[in-house]
Amino acid sequence: MLDYVGLEGDLDEEERLIRDTARRFVEEEVRDDIGQHWIDGTFPTDLVSEMGDLGFYAPNLEGYGSPNVSETAYGLLMQELEACDSGLRSMASVQGALVMYPIHAFGSEEQKERWLPDLGAGDAVGCFGLTEPEHGSNPSAMETRAEKDGDEYVLNGSKTWITNSPIADVAVVWAKDRSTDGDPVRGFLVETDRDGVTTNEIDEKLSLRASVTGEVSLQDARVPEDAVLPGVEGMKGPLSCLTQARYGIAWGAVGAARDCFETARQYATDREQFGGPIGRFQLQQQKLAEMATQITTAQLLAYRLAELKERGDLRPQHVSMAKRNNVRMAREQAPVAREMLGGNGIVADHSPMRHMANLETVYTYEGTHDIHTLILGEDLTGIAAFE
Amino acid sequence: MKVLVTVKEVAAVEDDFEIDGLSIDDRYLEYDLNEWDDYAVEAAVQIAEAADEDVEVVAATIGPERSEETIRMALAKGADRAVRVWDDAIADQTLLDVNAKASVFEQVVAEEEPDLVLTGVQAADDALGATGVALANRVGYQWAAVVNDLDYAAGDDVATVRRELEGGVEEITEVDLPAVLSIQTGINEPRYASLRGIRQAQQKEIAPHDLSDLGLDAETVDGALELTDMYEPESESDATIFEGGAEETATELANVLRDKGVVGE
Repeated sequence: MLDYVGLEGDLDEEERLIRDTARRFVEEEVRDDIGQHWIDGTFPTDLVSEMGDLGFYAPNLEGYGSPNVSETAYGLLMQELEACDSGLRSMASVQGALVMYPIHAFGSEEQKERWLPDLGAGDAVGCFGLTEPEHGSNPSAMETRAEKDGDEYVLNGSKTWITNSPIADVAVVWAKDRSTDGDPVRGFLVETDRDGVTTNEIDEKLSLRASVTGEVSLQDARVPEDAVLPGVEGMKGPLSCLTQARYGIAWGAVGAARDCFETARQYATDREQFGGPIGRFQLQQQKLAEMATQITTAQLLAYRLAELKERGDLRPQHVSMAKRNNVRMAREQAPVAREMLGGNGIVADHSPMRHMANLETVYTYEGTHDIHTLILGEDLTGIAAFE
Repeated sequence: MKVLVTVKEVAAVEDDFEIDGLSIDDRYLEYDLNEWDDYAVEAAVQIAEAADEDVEVVAATIGPERSEETIRMALAKGADRAVRVWDDAIADQTLLDVNAKASVFEQVVAEEEPDLVLTGVQAADDALGATGVALANRVGYQWAAVVNDLDYAAGDDVATVRRELEGGVEEITEVDLPAVLSIQTGINEPRYASLRGIRQAQQKEIAPHDLSDLGLDAETVDGALELTDMYEPESESDATIFEGGAEETATELANVLRDKGVVGE
């Protein structure tokens, strides 16, 4: 397994055991079936609770049943899940970083006790509603609104591109609170079986097919006033969640690229043409050398991010750089692996083309590549290009 | 009650490797918990989890400090603590034979006084497959080898076991405790360690012992077996591929089987 500059050699024992457990789980329980799920457009839902039993959801949080592992261990977990499929990592990212994290960071004691153990165990599934049909890269222009009515809030609006919404028990919905001066953005915990809540599935995706995506439609959906996350107001609520999730993506992209590389390397040494393995040709060796180099430099960035996060010095812009770089890297290397596999590269038996298609989603969600470019541009010049 | 599980870190060799003298270079080895022992650990943890009384599961291993990482996996899966025996005298052996292992574990059993000892049927690397039974003989426990089904609840005096015999024959038998059972793969479905389990395992004890701690001396592990050579055997098999339709190839195969005396005329 590619780890060219031996970064994994410096992991502590606990981190190695977590990496090995995740790697083995994916290898033994998921990998054989994931291609068929991808073709069928289904998520292997029996994995929801299995991954919960293993503690794969937000293991880097403290308390409420979370084991509080290191940020590196959490990153390694995301890397190993995405080495199988971006949809698998997305499941864990959404459940952990986008649902459990905001409840943990901004929720009331009652909300934490009600939701965190169930979500952590995979007994409940959560989703995160921020993006709207007309508001993607600019979520602060969101139209979804909440109005206080007695001891309830009435929610109206529509969220889309919501991973897991069709299978979710609870949605973290971000909406403008019209009952408060300045209409601040607030987070609401909305059970999906409430009247006025529908979660239609989005079909015919050509990417991230082994992951369920849908809408969250709110039509006079009433929630009790204690459904609001008390600890945060404004866009820093949803944005801080995205920083957590993007951190996992920066690691996950390394996993997807590594799987492409390993598949291509194996193929290049096994496949014989013109009287020997194709890996003896300079054309193939150049591709492998470049892939390995790109993966290794992205991996270095992920490890540095973990250090910064562990000691509390991680800025969202750091995460933007890593998400932007590492996903672009994986998106560029996956087709190289695909082409090395020749005709065999276009069937679901081999992972690179599946990764390649998945990475189109990863390139676009959680802040598009271009938006992360502008975040870095603003950070470097002090001038925001998007305001 | 107490269940002792003997576990071993075994080395798996990569497809391409080089032999250097009497060993394979470390570069080509990956260390892991012996597969059979994984089933034995699971069997022990299941007894503990189903029990009304307190059941302590202790893992015991003979291995260098490096093996602690592997043993930690057994702790992460639910064993309560571990005992690790190592000594320069053990490291000096080219091959630690069954007698030597049984001597070491005999002392561990004397210290721990377990009601039940579970071992894997064999280790994936040296495949001697005798440590469990040899240990039972030493400590005077009852024993059953190659157990692929176990009906036992903590506190019972008797374990009902199904044993896998030669030729697809199975035997169901009862074993009085204290007993040593060697556990076959497939008896259960070993769990994955959860992240919580892995965290907790960091706090669990792996007590190191050398031979003198166990009241043994260096001669104890001087076995009758010595590793004298290591080489890759030449492949002696020739493959013949029959081509053509099923009828044709079946006839050719039948001729070969008859010629080789596999089937009668």
